[in-house]
Amino acid sequence: MRRRQRPVIPAVLAVASVVALAACGGSSSSSSSASSGASSSSASSGKSGGTITQVFGTAPDSLDPGDGYTTQALEPDQVAYVPLVAYQHATGAAGGTLIPGLATALPKISADGKTYAMTLRSGLKFSNGQPVKASDFTYAVERSLKIPWGGSSFITANVEGASAYAAGKAKTISGITANDATGQITIKLTAPYGAFSNVLAFPAFAPVPAGTPMKNMPASPPPGVGPYKIVNVVPNVSYSVVKNQYWTPVPGIPSGNVNQINAKIASNTTSNALSVLNNSADVFDFADTVPPSVLPQVTSQASDRYSKVVFPSTYYFFLNSKTKPFSSQLAREAVVVGLDRNALARLGSGFFVPGCYLLPPPMIGHATKPCPYGDPATPNLAKAKQLVQQSGMAGTPITVWGEERSPRRQFVDYYTSFLNQIGFKASEKIIADATYFATIGNLKLNAQTGFADWNQDFPNPIDFYGILAAGDAILPTNNQNFGQINDPFINSKTNSLGSLYKAPSDQLSAYAGQWEALDYYTAQKAYFAVFGYASFPKFTSNRIDYGSAVLHQVYGWDWLTLKQK
Amino acid sequence: MLRFTIRRLIAAAGVLVVISILTFMIFQIIPNGDPAIRIAGRTANQAEIAQVRHEWGFDRPVYVQYVKTMGKIFTGTVVSYSQGVNVLDSIRQGLPATLSLAIGAGIIWLGLGILFGVITAVKAGRFTDRALTVLAFIGVSSPPFFLGALAIYYAGYKAGIIPLAGYVPLTQNPAQWFTHLIAPWLVLSVLFIGIYSRVLRSTILDTVHEDYVRTARAKGLSDRQVLVRHTLRNSLIPIVSLWGLDFAQVIGGGAILTESVFSLHGVGQFAADSIQRLDVPPVMVVTMLTAFFVVLLGAVVDIIYALLDPRIRLSA
Repeated sequence: MRRRQRPVIPAVLAVASVVALAACGGSSSSSSSASSGASSSSASSGKSGGTITQVFGTAPDSLDPGDGYTTQALEPDQVAYVPLVAYQHATGAAGGTLIPGLATALPKISADGKTYAMTLRSGLKFSNGQPVKASDFTYAVERSLKIPWGGSSFITANVEGASAYAAGKAKTISGITANDATGQITIKLTAPYGAFSNVLAFPAFAPVPAGTPMKNMPASPPPGVGPYKIVNVVPNVSYSVVKNQYWTPVPGIPSGNVNQINAKIASNTTSNALSVLNNSADVFDFADTVPPSVLPQVTSQASDRYSKVVFPSTYYFFLNSKTKPFSSQLAREAVVVGLDRNALARLGSGFFVPGCYLLPPPMIGHATKPCPYGDPATPNLAKAKQLVQQSGMAGTPITVWGEERSPRRQFVDYYTSFLNQIGFKASEKIIADATYFATIGNLKLNAQTGFADWNQDFPNPIDFYGILAAGDAILPTNNQNFGQINDPFINSKTNSLGSLYKAPSDQLSAYAGQWEALDYYTAQKAYFAVFGYASFPKFTSNRIDYGSAVLHQVYGWDWLTLKQK
Repeated sequence: MLRFTIRRLIAAAGVLVVISILTFMIFQIIPNGDPAIRIAGRTANQAEIAQVRHEWGFDRPVYVQYVKTMGKIFTGTVVSYSQGVNVLDSIRQGLPATLSLAIGAGIIWLGLGILFGVITAVKAGRFTDRALTVLAFIGVSSPPFFLGALAIYYAGYKAGIIPLAGYVPLTQNPAQWFTHLIAPWLVLSVLFIGIYSRVLRSTILDTVHEDYVRTARAKGLSDRQVLVRHTLRNSLIPIVSLWGLDFAQVIGGGAILTESVFSLHGVGQFAADSIQRLDVPPVMVVTMLTAFFVVLLGAVVDIIYALLDPRIRLSA
């Protein structure tokens, strides 16, 4: 799960801003609509060159691609470290389409789905002028395992010999072979994994020069191959990306329009939003929330350069299907039927779209049928109370788990009060953000219910089902299947759809119907109390060509599409 | 003086050791505070977590981990668990902003605190006293994040007379340095001005009844001379004591909210980020830094005591 980090003291600052600026807002009548659908990045009249500034509420976890895992890291890394496979630079669902990156073509997959073969483009150079070799890919993968990168399990769980290498039992990853003379790269998997091409698209696996230290280098990221290179890094404060003079254009990957992008990290998102509003900065980071105190002014004064974009992330309350009361399907249905998703959306400052399915839009497989228990935006409290009585679980004590940061704590406050309202005896337990998922992911705790979310790692439904709902994903620690769902139908469909090696992500749409059916089944069984999908702000200064700027479903702000008017 | 310095140095070392042990132990007993789990990522399996635990040394006894961490702190090689950046480099990078904030604000709150304290004491019971008392209470009741938000919106966004956020080093552009800091200075000072003026007012009002003040008046000194040379000088002792502690705390990262509101990237903001991530090494270093400054400023305050009141001896 790609993390969207938030500023450290958002609650305090947000409250302060609300209180302090309550009387300052303009009209809120003009609200921007959520953008949806797919449209390619349009060619427009913007100019090339110049320097722009993006403000971030949170620093990247690391600018080194071998360690960076948050969206704040991915935005610069995707322009400085192009992997063998990349995503189309387009908005909406089209942005999930895989294209060849540094490889000459998408991976050629063997008949048994276990061997991926690619050829590195010739003539590529790193940003330090050094020629790129096929073995630099192997080195990058090994380096990411040694650091280790937050998503290393995508490799260790799938590539032959990767676990042994990570554990120090082998000197190299036996499943990866690279021929520097021909540029050929072959990867052998332990079992077919349909989303493996998506895994190859992480910047963590973009080539870095062999010999780069096998440690995280956040202050001086290694040379990479991309239209830009990262320079002037002051950790947690600022950095810049400038044009890479050694970049060789690759079809499908724009070479970037502006000469330089300055990234400034400032924890006060109110001042960040005001900076973009008054055009002293150019781009507001999409992973930050426009504070409610400033939102009315943004929507009224900058309606032509502000909109909300739904991203593939699902917010839900997990329901432990192995423990009372949610071992009863009726009890689970009661939650799904009675949950007031509009109230939750309000708590999220309007940045939530109510929903009931685990797979979020615009991901392939997101069910389009009406929700099995009625309109998610219309809660039925009476029915929920009735279902609790029918389930025989009325009065069951429930501990509701939640984390501190806003608005997640507020979600849990509402949810706890809702559970009490429909007949349970709920009390909440709020713990620190840094330890929350490790705590509820410890199977010994056997958490009954609580807040959870999932942001896609890559646009493939297996990223949700394989981790959140499959029976074999139940782990003693770091478990993400918090509901301990072990449903034979879900297991068999997840297995078969997930290993459809003949249908890697570029052909995924052919199987959309099967994923939709699975998603509908999951909703019907009420395994998750999904309450919505997050939307994120696309907000720029009036110096930016807003139409051509792509807020990409994988990359976040696609810096290669930014240009000045 | 030498004995005083030696005694203070020994005390400082003791305080630093105790603070570092306490900080380290707090992170050891936090439930699920295992840094290996956070470093390995949310989807790491047990083998990967064990690998991280081994490579970072988290599988060793707690005292070994503590000693190793302290060793790295004193050799300057300690890195943050969550970001891998050198902690001392990060503090060195944040210290100019924090020092600029602390020194500027310290001068303002000391100067205005004394000024308002003297005025309210001299005009005790009159309109000026009451007005400044009300202002002092408003200052004490106004948290920095609230005043900061107002300053950013009205002076920054609406009027455009101060930048919205950030810090520019003095060496890079003195004018920009000043304009970026004027609002943080004032916002941070307001609370202290309120407290200091109230404390000084009450101390002055107590001191004016002392025998030596009466004697000074009997000698024929003017009211101003009595106030400045006798009353104020002795009344400043608690103010100096307060200032030393407050200033040390701000230098050691205590102005977390002011630094965060104005995105100054000082030591306080670094500390806040690290605490949020339960990142032990930076938190240890920042708490030790704070303790160091508190001890140091405590010693400076003792010296100033002796200058203000010759009856106080450093060797006592």
